[in-house]
Amino acid sequence: MTGGRIFTIALIVTSVIGAIGIFVGGWWIVFLIGLAVGIVLPARAALILGALFGLATYLEPLLRDHLIYGLGPTATSLAAIMGYPHQPAIPIVLTCALGLLLGLAGAWLGSAGRAFFQPASSR
Amino acid sequence: MRLANFAAAIVFSVAILYVSFVGAGPLPALGPAFNPGTGAWTMAFDASIGRETQHLTGLQQPVRITLDRDGTAHIVAQTDHDLFLAVGYVHARFRLFQMDLLRRQGEGRLSEVVGKKALDSDRFELQLGLLRTAEQEWNGRPGPSERARMAILAYTQGVNDRIAQAEFLHQLPAMFTLLGYQPKPWTPIDSLIVKGDMTQTLNFTDTPLVMALLERSLGPDLVSKWFPVLPPNPQSPYDPGPYPARPTVAALPAPQISGAEAVAAADAYQRLASLPAGLVATGGASNNWAVAGTRSASGGALLAGDPHLHLTLPAIWYQLTMDSPSYHVAGVSIPGTPVVLIGHNQHIAWSLTDAQNQQTFYYSEVEDAAHPGQYSWNGSWRRYDTASYDIPVRGGPTERLTVKLSVHGPVITERGQTTTVWWAGNIPSQDLDVLLGVDQASDWQQFRDTLRGWYSPTHNFVYSDDKGNIGMISAGYYPHVKSGRPWLPMPGTGEDDVDGTIPYDDIPQVYNPPEGIIWSANQRQVTADYPWYIGTASNFFDPGYRANEIHRVLSQGGKLSAADMMALQTDTRDYLASEMVPILLTVMPASPARDLLAGWDYRMETGSAAATIWWAFWQTYIAQAFDPWWKAKTVPVDRSEMNDSLGQYLESQVMAGSTVCPPEGCSPSAICPTEECSRFPLNVALDKAIRSTLDTLAKSLGADPKTWTWGRVHQRTLQNLAKITGLDYGPRPDRGDANTPLAAPDFPSSHGPSWRMVVDWGSGTFMGIYPGGQSENPASQWYTDRVDTWWDGRYAPMLTADQAASAPGATSWKLQP
Repeated sequence: MTGGRIFTIALIVTSVIGAIGIFVGGWWIVFLIGLAVGIVLPARAALILGALFGLATYLEPLLRDHLIYGLGPTATSLAAIMGYPHQPAIPIVLTCALGLLLGLAGAWLGSAGRAFFQPASSR
Repeated sequence: MRLANFAAAIVFSVAILYVSFVGAGPLPALGPAFNPGTGAWTMAFDASIGRETQHLTGLQQPVRITLDRDGTAHIVAQTDHDLFLAVGYVHARFRLFQMDLLRRQGEGRLSEVVGKKALDSDRFELQLGLLRTAEQEWNGRPGPSERARMAILAYTQGVNDRIAQAEFLHQLPAMFTLLGYQPKPWTPIDSLIVKGDMTQTLNFTDTPLVMALLERSLGPDLVSKWFPVLPPNPQSPYDPGPYPARPTVAALPAPQISGAEAVAAADAYQRLASLPAGLVATGGASNNWAVAGTRSASGGALLAGDPHLHLTLPAIWYQLTMDSPSYHVAGVSIPGTPVVLIGHNQHIAWSLTDAQNQQTFYYSEVEDAAHPGQYSWNGSWRRYDTASYDIPVRGGPTERLTVKLSVHGPVITERGQTTTVWWAGNIPSQDLDVLLGVDQASDWQQFRDTLRGWYSPTHNFVYSDDKGNIGMISAGYYPHVKSGRPWLPMPGTGEDDVDGTIPYDDIPQVYNPPEGIIWSANQRQVTADYPWYIGTASNFFDPGYRANEIHRVLSQGGKLSAADMMALQTDTRDYLASEMVPILLTVMPASPARDLLAGWDYRMETGSAAATIWWAFWQTYIAQAFDPWWKAKTVPVDRSEMNDSLGQYLESQVMAGSTVCPPEGCSPSAICPTEECSRFPLNVALDKAIRSTLDTLAKSLGADPKTWTWGRVHQRTLQNLAKITGLDYGPRPDRGDANTPLAAPDFPSSHGPSWRMVVDWGSGTFMGIYPGGQSENPASQWYTDRVDTWWDGRYAPMLTADQAASAPGATSWKLQP
């Protein structure tokens, strides 16, 4: 398999696991998966995958809900609660950013930790 | 390099995880709050209502619920128990956060979820004692009737069924997620607390404290003149007598308010004034009336009711119909309680307004250094009881609060002189059981007998039935004070204690009056001949202008219809303006502003410039008449707070051809404060006030009076209950003022007709509307879907369960054991 295909499969698998996690309330699972990704994959790939799967994991339920229920009123209401009435993009961006950053943070920490603890000879 | 990278990764991860787990500043914990699967985004799913079958613990038989197009819930149960369980479930399904806020407010637990900014409210509530009273009502002897106990327990089960379901399915209302807490299980005490909240909002007052401060600064002569026991203006009492004979108690010599009493009054007054709006009753504004079958176009009795409350989103009301073997009732309920408070059943209809009689009394306890921790009562020294509470505070240490209690009630301040408060809302009562009885009553006798047990808040319950009868009774507890001046803080020595209530047969009431009409609008219900003390004009009966206007319209003759009732509920004619403006016109020189006033129909419509001129003039005139006194006497009470009473006095003077004497007197004749200034000075005063008014309006609204429309200065807002301004409706220009049947006090107004209902038994017309919607979820179509209908003065039919089931747009739920 090519690297691109492996990356795609990894993105799908991590996103599916992440989605299952967040649907049972485990929003933090994105960080843990990112951590594992960071430990397993090379640094650059891990960071990209961590960010992308984190984003995908948080974005997918929003897209699904939007298709079924329409997210406009909800996003508008959340923006109003946050103090930004009539700016529904803000909670959407915040949610996606949260997923992205959780995945990225996990991947970065895993990658950096692996590099730090790995003996120099094995690198 | 590796270390630096690792350290940076740790710092970054900790930062992200911190704001996700804990939050930052005003932000909640972002992880759970914005989890797209289970966080606040689930309000999108919650807003989507479809056919459902739910299995609920505790249900005995299947229950059918039809949600009609506007979300009104029609519940059909095979047992009474299941009916109340289903009501609890439906309330919690659509209003759980509101219910939690209501119980937290009354139980002094708001700080636990919003932090120390709610501490003053929590301390006050625990001092006042809603929680103690609710616990006595539920656990005391004799306790609730079997009927009430069953209803409340079943209701509680239904609420808890929904809480458990929502937690399991991650469907709790978004505000729980955003505030980062989960609701505790509902208890019967919580339902009694919610009822207590309403009692407090409607009749816990600080008026005796205010009166003490006024008397101390203005002196007894001016206070008795400007804030008399009996109103100086006519108020269209609905019960004109005759009244039972009773020896009149001779007036007592008026002792001066002492310095210590004034300090105590000022401290308690300031404390109560600083509390969030709604915790202390500040006046009433509701309407209801009935027309006998003999006076109606349909031949059946008519009834109209529109209780005026703080207008919030979600509204205080939840509309439903309840059908079971013993109940067939439709109307509005308060989420948290299992009853229809205003509505109709198969035979009778009812609505209510606040009766406004004095139910709050303050006592100055007598203490001395030789008896620490004690007070003198009935000739002996008694130790204060105490009750202690822990107030958990989000983000801070738990606060310990100890409340001292005398025989009169809780200590409200110990500055100057220890002052306690006696409040009828603290008398354990079975008011929910009374409402269950009202829901089941089928004639006046049952209705009246049931209300015998109603304590607080005292309400004018209007009644009509399917046989053409009408009635009104101002049911509730009318404290009788042994002696003294109950409108001021009284000595706590025992001589001035509350020793009972006015007998039920003697309280204001009428049944099938000969003129065929009955009305109430928070006015004093009885004439000056009524032998019992029920409160002063300023504590806190309405000035009577709405009552006068309603009476004027209903008594015009001719047959009345449901359409007439609706027109009167949305009428904006200002009765006071109709009295004052013709007199004002006599002193105004020709001008565009005068032309506007001369051609005005006294209606406070958004497009009326005359309405703006009138309102601004009246406020200016009150200010010019009384502010010099406030300054000269250094009155520590905001003058505008007293405008209702001062306006009544001024109205009576103007009608008599005189005006308020200024502190320096009206040279050479009037000697203040005993005399007022007669005709010529009245003209001068009116001229001065209108000139000042026109100058001010020109500066603020422009030179052309035609553009000074009421809608430019008067708006209305429906405020989000959680005080999230982005979820408010409005502000939007709106009609009406404090004196019009369609009440809209304040700028912007957030108080007014919280539910309008019209019943015509002859034509089988049942109509109702409230501003807001059935759901507290702001993403739901049922959050504000009723607002426009209400705003436009239109109504929605109150359907039966069967009608709703076949109506377009209805959705059905099945609740299964």
